[in-house]
Amino acid sequence: MADIKVEHLHKEFGLGDDKVVALEDVNLEISGHVFVSIVGPSGCGKSTLLNIMSQIETPTSGVVSITQDNREALRGYVFQAARLLPWRTVFDNLLFVQEDQSDEAVRERCQRYLDMVQLGDKTEKFPGELSGGMQQRVGIARAFSVEPDVLFMDEPFSHLDAITARTLRAELHEMWKATGKTIVFVTHDVGEAVELSNRIVVFSKGGKLEDDITIDLPFPRDPANEKVAIAKAAVLRKFEELDLVAT
Amino acid sequence: MTVTSDKIPAPRTQQSGGIMKVLKSPTFARLLFPVAVIAFWYAGVGVIKAIWPFAVDVLPLPQEVVGAMWNEIIDPFVDGNQAPTRDNLYITFAISLFRLISGFLIAMVLGTIIGLGMGLSKAVDAFFHDWVMAILAMPALGWALFISLVFGFGNLGPILAVILTGIPFVIVNVREGVRNTPRELFDMARAFGVKRNRTTRHVLVPAMMPFFFAAIRYAFSIGWKGLVITEVFGGQDGAGWTLKFYYDAHRAHGVVGYAAFFIIFALLLERFVFERWSQRVFKWRPQAGGVETVEQAFDVAGTSGAMASATFVTGADVEDFEDENN
Repeated sequence: MADIKVEHLHKEFGLGDDKVVALEDVNLEISGHVFVSIVGPSGCGKSTLLNIMSQIETPTSGVVSITQDNREALRGYVFQAARLLPWRTVFDNLLFVQEDQSDEAVRERCQRYLDMVQLGDKTEKFPGELSGGMQQRVGIARAFSVEPDVLFMDEPFSHLDAITARTLRAELHEMWKATGKTIVFVTHDVGEAVELSNRIVVFSKGGKLEDDITIDLPFPRDPANEKVAIAKAAVLRKFEELDLVAT
Repeated sequence: MTVTSDKIPAPRTQQSGGIMKVLKSPTFARLLFPVAVIAFWYAGVGVIKAIWPFAVDVLPLPQEVVGAMWNEIIDPFVDGNQAPTRDNLYITFAISLFRLISGFLIAMVLGTIIGLGMGLSKAVDAFFHDWVMAILAMPALGWALFISLVFGFGNLGPILAVILTGIPFVIVNVREGVRNTPRELFDMARAFGVKRNRTTRHVLVPAMMPFFFAAIRYAFSIGWKGLVITEVFGGQDGAGWTLKFYYDAHRAHGVVGYAAFFIIFALLLERFVFERWSQRVFKWRPQAGGVETVEQAFDVAGTSGAMASATFVTGADVEDFEDENN
């Protein structure tokens, strides 16, 4: 099981008068087969936290350790935009991030995850030939195809229309259930967070971790279900208490 | 008020077909151009002949130019060489092409190295920047005269001219290519722990390809011009020298004919080498042919504009609608 430990994490951008504090003394522990959502208003540092955890950015101070059975955990990432290489086919985009591209087992694995996101017949297409939803599916398949211990997702459905986003959320939930991964999911959509997560971590502007809420409801969670709606209202009330609602 | 479908104009794209489709086709436009040039040529010579009669002797008509070109083409294959004092067309072009390709390859290799350095390092950029701009500002004629003075006749001068005229375009394009590579793709590669050499090969190089192609085209065409000018002033053979030969002989049809060989060569190179190569490298692009895309976009914009005006409603319309439905 993957263990994520974030201790006294601090991140600043710029110097002098232009200095912006993105994260302030963040402490967080995530362990096991959980789906954790990080929510908060724009500019609260949630994407910065994800980028530091996935080693895209370095912290100003503090420590992040992500381990799996006492070794460094393997990471996968799904971005807000799919970030596919437009000059490589769908299948080659998955191969690009693999350690050993010639291994037949790796190729079979890539095909399996493309099948899971229902793009098994689009392997030879270029990203420009796919819709936005399909491209994001490729991004999800790519992240799962490296068989990561931890999967980071940064608002992966925010660019998609509501129906496609809902379908992909359902597919993501099924993949999370089937693969037993640890998923850290950044979103500004409280409803999405409640629908998918075991835990919701709330950030405020200035990068402060304000609350850590456990959502103990059975899956799948229908947004129309009373208990799900109540949970969403409760999280939104927390937002109001913390004065995080955009005006 | 009732909104019915007959108030919405049909899309413009549905109306244009038949003759308009042929007239707007790229093939027609491509065929029309040489016809227009020849017509303009005849008309131009006619007008100048009317207002400036003694210019006629030096203004060749198309058939005279084609005749001069044909003589050049068949020259080595007919008995009694017509031009014993100079190389024939094929040897001339072989000499010039050798110089062009040698200079072009050196300009590409050196320019790519310097351009990469300038794109990746601010210090390297600061070191080379002003010198690249200075070389870029120097006219090809300046290089031609200077190189001819220093190196005299031979291959070295013309090759150097190709390098010096072509290399700034390679450097500038490669540098811009490096600067324009999408950072988010590098972040993606880093997030997945992809090794640096694989990232270079599959992210940096393909992202730079449009700039690299621009560099190739510029270096080749500008280098070609630099070469010809240098051969005019400091050559004893080659295409530029032959052009000068016709100029000295006061044979305008030879000058135009020989220049036409350059144009034909450049067009063939573009059509059969660069264009095909480019199509292969950029086959991932969803739709080739930018002009067509823009034209279609205009059509769509026109259509949606019409649709928008048809569906534009005022407050009074809404009140009417409510009255009718109550």
